[in-house]
Amino acid sequence: MSAATTPNKRTVTGFRTKLLAAMMLVISAITALGLYLAQRDVTANANRALQQDFQTQLSSLHELQELRHAALAERCRALAEKPRIHAALEDNALDLLYPSAKDELRDLMERGEPRSGQAASTLHAGFYRFLDGDGAVLPPPNSKDVGGLSKAAEAQLALNKLPEKQEVGYIWQDDSAGETVNEVTAVPILSTETGDVISALIVGFKPFEPVTKNAASGIKSGIWVGGRLYLPSLSKPAKTILTTKLARLLANGDRAENSSTVRINGARHLLFFKRLNPESLFRSAYEICVYPLDNWVAQLHRLRLKIGGAGALLLLGAFVVSHFAAARLSRPVEQLEIESEQERAERERAEAALASTADELERSARYSADASHQLKSPLTVLRAGLETLLAREDFKPEVYEELSGLLHQTHRLTGMIDDLLLLSRMDAGHLQIASEPVNLSELLEEWLDDLEALPDAPEVTIEKDIAANLAVAGEKQYTSLIVQNLLENARKYNRTGGRIRILARRENKHVLLAIGNTGRSIERNAQRHIFERFRSVGDGSVSGHGLGLNLARELARLHGGDLRLIRSENDWTEFEARFRVMEPKANRVAGTK
Amino acid sequence: MAKRYEIVTRGGALSTQPPLAVVYLDGSFSKPASSPKKQIAQKDYAFLPALLPVQVGTRVEFPNLDDTYHSIFSYSPAKRFDLGRYRPEERPIPFEVFDVAGLVTLRCDIHEHMRGLILVLNTPYFVITDANGRFRLRGLPSGHYMLKAWIDSKTTREKPLDLKSGETAHVDFQ
Repeated sequence: MSAATTPNKRTVTGFRTKLLAAMMLVISAITALGLYLAQRDVTANANRALQQDFQTQLSSLHELQELRHAALAERCRALAEKPRIHAALEDNALDLLYPSAKDELRDLMERGEPRSGQAASTLHAGFYRFLDGDGAVLPPPNSKDVGGLSKAAEAQLALNKLPEKQEVGYIWQDDSAGETVNEVTAVPILSTETGDVISALIVGFKPFEPVTKNAASGIKSGIWVGGRLYLPSLSKPAKTILTTKLARLLANGDRAENSSTVRINGARHLLFFKRLNPESLFRSAYEICVYPLDNWVAQLHRLRLKIGGAGALLLLGAFVVSHFAAARLSRPVEQLEIESEQERAERERAEAALASTADELERSARYSADASHQLKSPLTVLRAGLETLLAREDFKPEVYEELSGLLHQTHRLTGMIDDLLLLSRMDAGHLQIASEPVNLSELLEEWLDDLEALPDAPEVTIEKDIAANLAVAGEKQYTSLIVQNLLENARKYNRTGGRIRILARRENKHVLLAIGNTGRSIERNAQRHIFERFRSVGDGSVSGHGLGLNLARELARLHGGDLRLIRSENDWTEFEARFRVMEPKANRVAGTK
Repeated sequence: MAKRYEIVTRGGALSTQPPLAVVYLDGSFSKPASSPKKQIAQKDYAFLPALLPVQVGTRVEFPNLDDTYHSIFSYSPAKRFDLGRYRPEERPIPFEVFDVAGLVTLRCDIHEHMRGLILVLNTPYFVITDANGRFRLRGLPSGHYMLKAWIDSKTTREKPLDLKSGETAHVDFQ
């Protein structure tokens, strides 16, 4: 037993470790998933918040634009209706355009003290210019009244054609004060007579101011126009990086809106850009917003630490719990393992015993079969010799008697060997019983006829009550053997003047055959052993080799029936055989007729 | 002259509606000794007449016959002037002398729909056609000339014409 427990212990320990590992794996996976989800959530939140901020900024910018547009549209409509402006444009007196418009646009250009209110300052124009019919800038006679612009800046105002609607553009102006970007709005001037666009007024508002409402957050916004970036708060090298990035991003056609990440001075930044003047005749301009992701990254880092810490704690706790849980869970398994080990050993022993028994049985069966065969040939020779001797006529009568007795003994021996052979085949499991309908009633009658014909039949009365056409399942040869055996016994162990009673009837799914005879009953102690081999029923006064009943019972059982002794007392011994009923295939028979 | 015409723009060209043409004998003629005097009134928020051909050097007065201010001006290359705002009782009646040949568009700074045309010509021989396009010029000097027909601000047709004393020539610009 000690040899078996060592591998047991190992197996159980292995199971415990596996269980622990599996539990830890599940908990680790859950923790990792939690980490991943939390991180994704934070990233998505950051992205969403920044995007929202960007959109808010843009919308405030657009609000300003719309305010300006509305004001300018109204102004230009009024302007176009002015006879002097008309006269200047239509009567080929462009030199008079600026002087004529000067009064009209004076309040737009009014410098002086800024009036209170945001609207006033946002609508305050820095300069204005008119475009001629081809979209070229009409040079102003006196730039003082119309707002000064460098030649390069003024050149950016020219359009390919006159605008049909209000157009927004952004132009660079480099002067002594540095570089600035001005937002300009081009407003078409329609002829009041023809409705055609005859000119355009371009108003430049105060320089574009990057939104710096939240300086602490490090959010920087600027504008991208003409391949240049205007973002004054950005350092030069950072600007170079961003310019390169934006040039690459915007190189592939006109992208209206997008976002990207960029690394400035080693720090990750989120970059948003959106076109400010879609479908404008002016050059494409983009609002640029750069958000440092440091805060978010730090927040993410903190969160990661928190989740990681929680995860680690969870893992530790889980480890402890798992350990105990695994131990507890594995205990029954351990018990099971030991029990099963014992059971296995027992089973193996039983199997081994069974195998050896089967071997023995097989061997003995084969031995019986071999022995029977070996015995048959000399027996045949012996019988043939005896019969030859009996045929001679020169022996004394007592010699004939002797020879006849010897021949009878050889017949007995032959019958015994046949029975033995059949039994050994049955023991080896080699006997195949067919399942065909056998007419038991006919079989009984045949055997009764044979019995009466026997020469040494004692004086016995035969009573019979046999139902007609009792069909039983089996093979006729073996069924016949059973019947023969019982009838022969009934005759053999009878007394002179006795009787034999044969009853055969159907009872449910069985056919019962009861054969009783008068004569000395079997000893009570012997009754238990009469079905055993080589146990003869009688006291030796009658011939019997003690195999017949055993064979009959084995055969009955093989047929799905049985054979038993009902009683043996008071001059009456009765056996009952039980057979399976098989309905004769009446239909088929009828069909063949 | 009682009939009223208005100035309209068709395809960027100014003309009268219904269409009238000014037919004139082109050439160099001496200026009159004294400036001719003509009037274009502002009546019912319109110039009357809407189209006025004049010889170079003509003085045109712009009486205001409406009960409100008018402010007549022109940015035309042939004559730039600005009479400023004035009322009907303004005296002397504001005027301008037109020294350069060409088309002058009159506008009112206050009433932007008002349009008037003065066609300043080098010749004293001109006439406005009737509504059917017929015209008659009398007392023309003999000689070889170009007869021109101003149809709108962008269209002027012309035909060479030999005039002999005491004869009547027929010209069809169609």
